[in-house]
Amino acid sequence: MGANASSISDDGLNYVSLKPKLDDIPEACVALVLSYLDPIEICKLARINRAFRAASSADFIWETKLSSNYKYILQELLGLKVAGLDKKDLFAKLSRPRPFDGGTKEVWIDKNNGGVCLAISSKGMAITGIDDRRYWNHIPTDESRFQTVAYLQQIWWLEVDGDLEFQFPEGTYSLFFRLQLGKPAKRLIRRACNYEHVHGWDLKPVQFQLTTPDGCRVTSRCYLDNVGIWVQHHVGDFVVRDDTVPTKIKFSLTQIDCTHTKGGLCVDSVLICPISLAKQLSSC
Amino acid sequence: MASSSSSSKTGLKKMLTLKSSDGDEFELEESIVIQCQTIKHMVEDGFSLIPLQNVDTKTLTKIIEYMKKHAEKTESNKEEIKNFNKEFVKGSFDDQFELVSAANYLHINGLMDLLCQSIADRINNKSVRAVREIFNISNDYTPDEEEKVRDEHKWAHEGGEFDESLD
Repeated sequence: MGANASSISDDGLNYVSLKPKLDDIPEACVALVLSYLDPIEICKLARINRAFRAASSADFIWETKLSSNYKYILQELLGLKVAGLDKKDLFAKLSRPRPFDGGTKEVWIDKNNGGVCLAISSKGMAITGIDDRRYWNHIPTDESRFQTVAYLQQIWWLEVDGDLEFQFPEGTYSLFFRLQLGKPAKRLIRRACNYEHVHGWDLKPVQFQLTTPDGCRVTSRCYLDNVGIWVQHHVGDFVVRDDTVPTKIKFSLTQIDCTHTKGGLCVDSVLICPISLAKQLSSC
Repeated sequence: MASSSSSSKTGLKKMLTLKSSDGDEFELEESIVIQCQTIKHMVEDGFSLIPLQNVDTKTLTKIIEYMKKHAEKTESNKEEIKNFNKEFVKGSFDDQFELVSAANYLHINGLMDLLCQSIADRINNKSVRAVREIFNISNDYTPDEEEKVRDEHKWAHEGGEFDESLD
């Protein structure tokens, strides 16, 4: 070994301490390695030992994982305290779906990629004829994240409208309607479905519409045909370019051809998520 | 900084000598070596022989290879540098840990990022046990603490199998 303590002082360098390598890479390196991993991976590695746990809590790691609008979501929307909390704790708080608007909407961030997701319950939408029990009923079911769906027995004029004003982080988002033909029913503990009112969907397609922040309307049509299965119907995508102002969108589901009735439809919710996550969902 | 700018003006290439912990000396142009913040500061302080007692010859050779290549970086050879980087991070975990410790000590930020990204890619999806083996780390948690850490991260751990292999 050429280097020793005396040669260090000969050169006037004294800020070096010889460290064992391999089993002891510096904590700064560990933190940097962790910063390249997904949130779930980082949390897993916190279990390795105390040094990893300390490194895994560094704010600089989590700052990049948190969506840019986390203060808006936690403080303004949910009324939670942000000050004094670690970025990691903020991430954990946000990764659980949080209800707002009287429980008719939920917001959360995806644990894998940190993207902001929203769901809007059927109770948070305007449904034509919803107060008339001959047409529509709210029925409780654990097949919905909101524990309730709007069930259409029979109607001529199907119209479900909703809108949302939300401060999204920049990016492209996809919007889906979660629908099922058939009424959820439970036989003992097994999932079951009642098809007795299902009719009229093979005659004309339903129409989905999305009005994007820049005022464009995206329209898609689709025949509903999957009986007894919840389907996420892709309505359209929208782009958010400014994360400092609220983005306004409108969406609807209609079938207003009054020459025939239709029925047996469950409307659960509308889901909005980053387009990267949307690929996992089936579309219309 | 003053010395480097004056030397480039006169067209003279100022040379520096790096000395590894094994005593081997490497002569390099200053313009290449100042990518490394630690050395840059020493050059500014007037040193021209730089002993690196934390870096052995094998590791230093690799790091010089990296600095030489990255000193050639221009707008037009991005692809070439990318391929170089890809090749550069191939090797065992042990080699990478040697390099990352050295890069951290020498403050070569680009190399730190490159190596940490590469290590992250390679431990992605590994089980806790596998990562402990790879890093050669012993578990210093008490069973109670381990339970507590597990609880703290309950929100993140749902299902999912992790890779137990060590490469």
